[in-house]
Amino acid sequence: MPSTDLDDFVAMSAALTGFTADFLRPALDPLNLSQAYFDQATARTAGQPATLQTLLTAYRAVQGQAPQAIADALLETASASPSSNAMLAQSIVLLWYFGAWYAPLVPGAPQPTTAPGAVQVVSSNAYTHGLVWNVMQAHPMGFSELTFGYWSTPPGPMSQFGVNEPTGGDR
Amino acid sequence: MTTYDVVIVGAGVAGNLMALELGKAGKKVLILEAGLGVPDNRAGYMDNFYLSLAKTPESPYPPLPGNGAGGKPLFPLPDPATEAAPRATVLMIGKKPDQSYLVQDTHGSVSNPQGTAVRGLPFASTYERVAGGTGWHWLGTSLRLVPHDLTMQSTYHQFTDWPVAYDELSQLYGEAEAAIGVSASVAQQAPLESAIGLTYPPGYAYPMGPIPTSMVDQAVSTGIGTMMIAPDAPAHPEQYPVFVTPTPAGRNSEPYQDRRVCAGNTNCIPICPIQAKWDPTVTLGAALDTGNVTILNQAVAVDVKVDAQNHVVGIDYLSWTKGEGGKIQSKPGTAIGTTYVLAAHAIENAKLLLMSNGKQGVANRSDQVGRNLMDHVLYLSWALSDKPLFGYRGPLSTAGIESLRDGAFRSFRAAFRMEIGNEGWNFAIGDPYTSATDFINGLNFSGQNAGNQRLGGLALVQKLNEIYTRQFRIACLFDQAPQPDNRITLDPTLTDGLGLPRPKIAYGLDDYTLQGFKAARTVCSAIYREMGATEFTTDQAKSVADHVPGFFAFDGFNYQLYGAGHIMGTHRMGTDPDTSVVDGNQRSHDCENLWIVGSGSFPTVGTANPTLTIAALAIKSARDILSKL
Repeated sequence: MPSTDLDDFVAMSAALTGFTADFLRPALDPLNLSQAYFDQATARTAGQPATLQTLLTAYRAVQGQAPQAIADALLETASASPSSNAMLAQSIVLLWYFGAWYAPLVPGAPQPTTAPGAVQVVSSNAYTHGLVWNVMQAHPMGFSELTFGYWSTPPGPMSQFGVNEPTGGDR
Repeated sequence: MTTYDVVIVGAGVAGNLMALELGKAGKKVLILEAGLGVPDNRAGYMDNFYLSLAKTPESPYPPLPGNGAGGKPLFPLPDPATEAAPRATVLMIGKKPDQSYLVQDTHGSVSNPQGTAVRGLPFASTYERVAGGTGWHWLGTSLRLVPHDLTMQSTYHQFTDWPVAYDELSQLYGEAEAAIGVSASVAQQAPLESAIGLTYPPGYAYPMGPIPTSMVDQAVSTGIGTMMIAPDAPAHPEQYPVFVTPTPAGRNSEPYQDRRVCAGNTNCIPICPIQAKWDPTVTLGAALDTGNVTILNQAVAVDVKVDAQNHVVGIDYLSWTKGEGGKIQSKPGTAIGTTYVLAAHAIENAKLLLMSNGKQGVANRSDQVGRNLMDHVLYLSWALSDKPLFGYRGPLSTAGIESLRDGAFRSFRAAFRMEIGNEGWNFAIGDPYTSATDFINGLNFSGQNAGNQRLGGLALVQKLNEIYTRQFRIACLFDQAPQPDNRITLDPTLTDGLGLPRPKIAYGLDDYTLQGFKAARTVCSAIYREMGATEFTTDQAKSVADHVPGFFAFDGFNYQLYGAGHIMGTHRMGTDPDTSVVDGNQRSHDCENLWIVGSGSFPTVGTANPTLTIAALAIKSARDILSKL
């Protein structure tokens, strides 16, 4: 069966975020955040210089590469003047990291004078499933499923937090 | 009309504890609460928090402080003139009155060229006006004051003494710790006896065992051991010990009062999702369960009415609702009791007293109502450890450095306690948001991305993991000097949605307090050096310090002013009716059947977070009322 736009969105998101596709869209997925984010990104970029579709087109051109190469290509990390597509890719990372939509920066515009803020938190579930908390081997502030005293000992390895580590082991 | 034994204004820490004591004793109590009542459960407040764009202390609580919930932009903030019970919020600091409930004449430039005081600062602490009050988002820190906090005049020839004996306060602390449910170990606090004179009654044990310390606490404690430092060298070469102690906390380490143990949500502020942290709604529930306590929500007290003998004869209030299109409707009522308690927190207590009696004021023969407004002003420093210490885990703070809370230096500069944070650089720079956007968008607001790198994939994960797991911060909370010209008055023209005058603030920091900032900066930097950590505390731009409200320059450093949310001093207690508003029982010197309670009664800040002392004094006041009813 050919992959759908949503399949490609999840695969692209995995490369961009550094997490596994299975973690972003588990087989059993009552929250279905991938669909919510796909819809959010589609609606927010309609009529913009870069749309989710232009980004997916760029993804399909490099999808056979290794995850880090895909991320670097889409984010144009080697470029001094990233395109609209690359800035949309940044917002896709932020969407998964914070469960919130950040308006993409604009190529050539002056740098912001304050740290960029989200325009909207997609949902409470989106906040409590932001990936940034996994990156720090912690839990969302205000949403702990851990037990009393866990904070006095070190957290488990990165591999327990859904990160797509090449070695799959502890760092 | 029902006549109550006691009418209490405000359902917060002090009001609810008093209602419980009085209700248990069979007294009929009416609580007037300005804001909305306690919701059936906290799910709605949690959603408000989750969906807020700025997760400030007030973000969960109604009316929503313009935090972008529901897809609305963060700014402009709602106009306080459209709310029946508006309050100060963090986002309002430095804003003009159309976006700030407190009317603050902040001038724009605050630096004094002589460097000895700064005036025109915005007051940087905030509070809630809902049932439960600001105690919804207290941290849980339950430190006791130390003996010299009560004797600043007689010991250090500064300010004034408290009209309360430490032995009595010590007993009351035990009762307050039971009422709140404090987790701590007397043995762990023992090193503070020789350092700062902290003692407990013989045989005392806290209600619950201690909260375990975090990896961050352990890293700081191991990194500095007991370090000797001279914070005021070279002028004052005396050395003092610096060491870490676990912080007594109003969070459950065992099931207590039918509440769960702490699960380390790292969210005591703005809201504990599971009520493992005590908050005043716990006590309100117990008070209502006595069958003797009634609460009237959405009832804003507007006038404390007195007769010719200065006897309080009633409190007028406005019951309000908000209808279609946010239109406020209100109807007047009068609460009648034998005795009256104002427990609306420092700013609202003072405002109510000042606007009573046709704005001539009540209980203000001393002219001290509204004066000596104090905050636990705060210096925030932050650093990256040389190895992971895994912040963002556990309660927001589990340990601190208390050893510098007392010493001979208090004769010339403010003492401070040091709170070690478990939330990385969340307080410091708004992380995890700021660092992530830095490395994703190629910016450098965190100071960690000097090369404006843009990263993605596993490279991003590894970079951010390396940063977040090593972030920590220390906040120093100062014993800010009481100053009569730091005060709230009634704004002559601006009103809230009920047409009531808004609080106008005049505020600044004096040299005694500022010298404390200097010492704190010295100590924090020394700690980071000793640990091998790299400090990132921002020395703000001079142009910002001189011109942006909330920033100031002093002694060659450009500070951001932070409040601790600890508002004190607007109806100070004392023995002399000419220089104080209430006595040692928080009873008005002028009105024999009026008690004015809460941290507004504190004549000096002291060196402990105020909630436990508010609770202890509330219990004392309830006993005083019972002895007279």
